[in-house]
Amino acid sequence: MATSLAHWLTRTYLAVILLFLYLPIAVMILMAFNASPLYEFPFEFDLIWFKALLKNEKLMTAGFNSIGIALANTVVATVLGTLGSLGLNRYEFRGRQLLEILLLPPITIPWLIIGTSMLIFFFWTGIGRGLHSILLGHVALSIPYVMIVVGSRLKTHGASLEEAAATLGANPWQAFWRVTLPALSPSIVAAALFAFAVSFDQFVISYFLAPPGTSTLPVEIYTSIRKGFTPEINAISTVIILVSMGLMLLVARQYRFGGER
Amino acid sequence: MPGLVARQTRAAIALTAPAYLWLALTIFLPLSAMAYFSFLDVAPIGGRESHFTLSHYIAFFTKEVYWRNAWRSFELGFYVTLLCLIFGYPAAHILAKHIHGRWREALFLLVILPFWSNALVRTFSWTMVLRGELGLLFTYWAIVIGLVHAYLPYAILTCYISLQSIDDSLIEAARSLGASPLQAFLRVTLPLSIPGLLAAVILIFVPVIGSFMEPRILGGKSAIMLGPIIENQFTAVFNWPLGAALSFLMLGIVLVFLLAASPILRRHWQ
Amino acid sequence: MSRVDVAEVSKRYGSVKALDRVSLYFLDGEFFGLLGPSGSGKTTLLRAIAGFVEPDEGAISFDGERVESVPVHRRAIGMVFQNYALFPNLDVEGNIAFGLAVRGTSLAERQVRVEEMLRLVRLTGLGARKPRELSGGQQQRVALARALVTRPKVLLLDEPLGALDRRLRQEMQVELKEIQRKSGVTTIFVTHDQEEALTLSDRIAIIDQGRVVQVGAPVDVYERPSTVFAAQFLGDANIFRGQRSADALLLDDGARLTAPGTSSTVIVRPEKMLVFKRGEIPPADLSNLLPGRILQSIYSGASIAYRIATGPRDQIILTFAQNRQGELLHPGSEVTVAWSPAHTVSVAT
Repeated sequence: MATSLAHWLTRTYLAVILLFLYLPIAVMILMAFNASPLYEFPFEFDLIWFKALLKNEKLMTAGFNSIGIALANTVVATVLGTLGSLGLNRYEFRGRQLLEILLLPPITIPWLIIGTSMLIFFFWTGIGRGLHSILLGHVALSIPYVMIVVGSRLKTHGASLEEAAATLGANPWQAFWRVTLPALSPSIVAAALFAFAVSFDQFVISYFLAPPGTSTLPVEIYTSIRKGFTPEINAISTVIILVSMGLMLLVARQYRFGGER
Repeated sequence: MPGLVARQTRAAIALTAPAYLWLALTIFLPLSAMAYFSFLDVAPIGGRESHFTLSHYIAFFTKEVYWRNAWRSFELGFYVTLLCLIFGYPAAHILAKHIHGRWREALFLLVILPFWSNALVRTFSWTMVLRGELGLLFTYWAIVIGLVHAYLPYAILTCYISLQSIDDSLIEAARSLGASPLQAFLRVTLPLSIPGLLAAVILIFVPVIGSFMEPRILGGKSAIMLGPIIENQFTAVFNWPLGAALSFLMLGIVLVFLLAASPILRRHWQ
Repeated sequence: MSRVDVAEVSKRYGSVKALDRVSLYFLDGEFFGLLGPSGSGKTTLLRAIAGFVEPDEGAISFDGERVESVPVHRRAIGMVFQNYALFPNLDVEGNIAFGLAVRGTSLAERQVRVEEMLRLVRLTGLGARKPRELSGGQQQRVALARALVTRPKVLLLDEPLGALDRRLRQEMQVELKEIQRKSGVTTIFVTHDQEEALTLSDRIAIIDQGRVVQVGAPVDVYERPSTVFAAQFLGDANIFRGQRSADALLLDDGARLTAPGTSSTVIVRPEKMLVFKRGEIPPADLSNLLPGRILQSIYSGASIAYRIATGPRDQIILTFAQNRQGELLHPGSEVTVAWSPAHTVSVAT
């Protein structure tokens, strides 16, 4: 008797938590399909806001900027992060611990501080604001995540595969291409998806580094909200949420199926 | 024969240099620049002359608007962290200990998913819910709700990882020694899950005190806290040195916090 | 197939001496066992020969040519790792052919040699399987085939049978020996299992704390250990200490043992001791006698071991014998333990 009560209670608690987590998202998605521009009921299904979205040049351009930056960020951060992680985890040298610790500031320091310091530095050194600065910032945030994801894989599966390759006559280059990279690929893919999500969703850094006129999607959404929203925001927000969550589902599946055995 | 060691070091440097140079350029140098700026009276841009001053730092301690709102930021951090732990720990415990098999993975994923969606969009979605008859929008509690919603999955995640690594046989051993379920929880489970709790505290408290986007969107006029004030210096008031000083003060407080927690962390975390 | 020479090799990690002026030679084609407790340095030595560890001092040579500055991938060795280290992204054929592929061997030749190897390790037909689809024993054989296909000068095995269960271990020991005999490659393997070292090796070396304690054929090392450590690490040993007087050793309780040699410490292997009921007269050639009382009888079906207390301070002796008569003596029985002076071995302390 006690166990079935406990069973019931625990399931209910989780259900409540999940409800809390998904309620606002569900409401927003609902409203995106509602014909009423003032979010009033009764609910009338309409794709009008999605169509208006396509005509909203500002949002569209910002969207393409976001995707473009996110793609560039993914490539750069994944390459730099993977190489860095290999260097950190496959070689013995003094200062390894220090380098590992240096990965913490980008993750733990509030983005507000990172963003404003970048603004100061870029302005001062003439790099200035712009899509290129935003990319610089996004990559900086993504690299630690990539290094941690790839690093954890490198740590759990020690160097024995590369050692075996060496005993079989493979020079370091051959060992890297034939053994390390294939074994690492699930983690690299997961890290890349991570990097894409980090960049695509990033608001604070983009906010400070965006020049007047051009921006990324989150920044554009923020400005619209502050001005008083148009219902297209609901539509674009729905798209973004579904894309982000879809990406994370991909990461989760990647990590489980290819990653740990 | 240092041949092998030298080769290893060279290779390691070649591989890690690009990533760390990037980080130096975008994180470490900017932070140093900001530290430098915080000691100047005006920003040395556009040909202006700057002079060394401590006035911004002093202003933090003397002008009520600053330290009072820094305190409000801490209060916010405290409430949000507390609520996240109060609601998140039980959820994590249920997931880790009471649910098994496919359900566990699926539910875990469901819990974590919103966390990885766009923060801005999530915050915005709360405005949909909080407006209207609830009348909660643009109040302090709207900010709290929004932030708890954002960081609750974080708390569940870290507590779950910590709880999951506790071997069931430890609980069974405690029970076999005569401990009731509650005693087993208090004496075995809870102490062993402290790393997870601590990680949650650090991962939630720090970003919350530095947040400005959620306060502004959800709190409107009640969003007078350190985060928005700092943001103001850079986007409206253009008093960059002051903004820099306030940022560094915030950073300093975060560091003090981390240093205080690190011995406990290092003891419990492998 | 090469002769390997290790001369005065030392390696230090911080303040710990992993290897302390180790000198050994490994004959062309022999099966050599490095035996020692964990942390003894045996694995470090193996990895030094492989090239993963660079000695601080000393020289390692293959057929007279020094190799310390030759990187691993140019040493022409073959190595089987404790966890096999099979490449998960390649199938069995791909794994075995790896060493040939990186050398640019033609596809045709690769196929021939892989087939040859599969036959040698008795895995024909399993070429398309992935490592994770194989059992532990099968994985081990793939690892062996992979290491041998390149016809290495030296084959290095790092606790090769450690991950297998008892029955599989015994099977694999036989197969391993057979494969090594057929290929004729100089093989050096590391183990902490003394039985394995004894059954597989042509010669063994006992390593402790970075130093070679004793080298020799299993028979020599087992029957004539040079130190107490060697005696105790390889098998069990009963130790007797006393005062030397020409050919005899005087124990402090007055007992006198005939013990050839000069040391004041001798050991006797348990299986060399026979147990007689008090009152029975042992044969004349077993002239070393000690009275005692049985503390514990350990009956294992085919064999019986006794723990016997002897002397004024109740020193414990262990005896071991085949169960020929099917008769078990019980704890508390008064007995006489007898053995031959020829089996009383003088050792350094």
